[in-house]
Amino acid sequence: MPGESKITVPEDYLRNLEKKVEDLKALREVSVLISSTLDFNDLMTLVMEKAKKVMSAEACSILLYNKNTKKLEFEVALCQEEATSDVLKEKITLELGQGIAGWVAENLKPLVINDAGADSRFYRDADKMTGFKTKSLIAVPLVGRSGLVGVAEIINPESKDFFDAYDSEIFQTLCRQVAIAIENACFYKESLEKERLRQELEIASSLQKSFLPDSPVFTRGNLTVSAVNIPAAKVGGDLYDFIEPAEGKAGVLIGDVSGKGVSGAIYMAKIISDFRYIANKADSPEAALKLLNDQLSRAPRGMFLTAVYLIADIHSGELQVSVAGHPPLLLVTEDEVKVLDIPSGPPLGIVPAEYPSSVFQMKKGDRLLLLTDGTFEAKSKKGERIGFERFVLFINKHRGDGQLVQTIVEYVQGFSKGAEMADDLTMVELKWMSGS
Amino acid sequence: MKIEVIDYKGKKVMEVSGEIDMHASPSLRKELMSLVSKKTTPLLVDLKGVSYIDSSGIATFVEGLKGMMAFGGKLKLASIPAGVMEIFNFSKLDKVFEIYGDLDDAVNS
Repeated sequence: MPGESKITVPEDYLRNLEKKVEDLKALREVSVLISSTLDFNDLMTLVMEKAKKVMSAEACSILLYNKNTKKLEFEVALCQEEATSDVLKEKITLELGQGIAGWVAENLKPLVINDAGADSRFYRDADKMTGFKTKSLIAVPLVGRSGLVGVAEIINPESKDFFDAYDSEIFQTLCRQVAIAIENACFYKESLEKERLRQELEIASSLQKSFLPDSPVFTRGNLTVSAVNIPAAKVGGDLYDFIEPAEGKAGVLIGDVSGKGVSGAIYMAKIISDFRYIANKADSPEAALKLLNDQLSRAPRGMFLTAVYLIADIHSGELQVSVAGHPPLLLVTEDEVKVLDIPSGPPLGIVPAEYPSSVFQMKKGDRLLLLTDGTFEAKSKKGERIGFERFVLFINKHRGDGQLVQTIVEYVQGFSKGAEMADDLTMVELKWMSGS
Repeated sequence: MKIEVIDYKGKKVMEVSGEIDMHASPSLRKELMSLVSKKTTPLLVDLKGVSYIDSSGIATFVEGLKGMMAFGGKLKLASIPAGVMEIFNFSKLDKVFEIYGDLDDAVNS
């Protein structure tokens, strides 16, 4: 037709153009694929398969940078022989600067090597161990938002002798996507792990609560015992228990385990079950704590327990009390707050010891407070502690309060407002409401 | 918290200063248990510079003491400041540990 012009394009140019379009398509597909998976293992296999295909290579590998050991470790290697991948994964790690991958990781620059055997940086042991022959390769640093993630290598082109600058460009484009995808998958893996730990702690917390009495209030005759237990973390190291060791008797235990966190919680559970077994056989607090001390002496890592165990006669109000390195008991009467000076043995679980019982008579309206040091050692935002003396003065001022325990809890929490709660807070109150 | 191990009048002394809390206890444990496993006895611990100790710190010394007792070794604590001594007295740990007024008393014991 007139006016129509014809452009002649060399066939080579056209083939090149077609290949570039194909490569771009493949890159786009890969990028969609890798950004759609967050599973780390799936991602690794997927990336390697696609890279091998897009780059028409015999093998490819990803070494991940371990920030703790500062070494490169083979994460995946895809070759014809599966055994080759296993050898690489199990046996080979590289220092920064060691081998071609180490050089790339250290300098954060890609490398195109035409003849690996002639390059002094080439780490020959990998080929020796696997039997694979590396000829030409491209190594690219994988850099994410948080810095070096690893190194990706593509090895031996399938249809030519060595890779060229164009291959390197394509591989680098692919690697930019890969680095971000790996980083995302790592973050996802970490957040899954954190969530798993959080759930484990949740379960540990409810398990631990199940070791404490079902109800925090225990009434027998004229005696009412009530407890408050507020752990500083999900699981705590404070404990209390109410039991009936014999007809007409009530046993009350309060304790503080030296460890915190999960180890403290497991130790606490062991103590409660040992205590219940022992206390139902022992006829005095003295005998019970002595047996419990023997039982706990094998505790690991120097863990120990401070405790008070008392047995109350629910008809007469007489108490037998034994103390093992625990903070003093406070007797709150109508007129005063008395710090009871009861002879004490050392904490349980350290050395063989005696825990002599003291006898004490409660009078009508008396309240006996058993507490752990999380009460008076509470720390303010400025780092100041309440201190035992100030704590006793506060209780004295509020001794007429019908809800004394609640008032104390509010005081302690108010004092440490804005500061991280460092220790568990536990109080047990015994109220005697008899005629005498 | 700072730890230094020195020789004083022919005895090994561990000088500890600062706050011994749950963050500091692991490094105290490492140092102490390494001396215990080498059967360093008597081992003197100078606590002059300690401003606070919590139950994790005390448990670390308890572990050291138990380790020493297992082979008949001695762990001696010296120069405990009044505020820290209160915690020891309150918990009746003075019944558990050998405690001395100062380092020379511990050396001569």
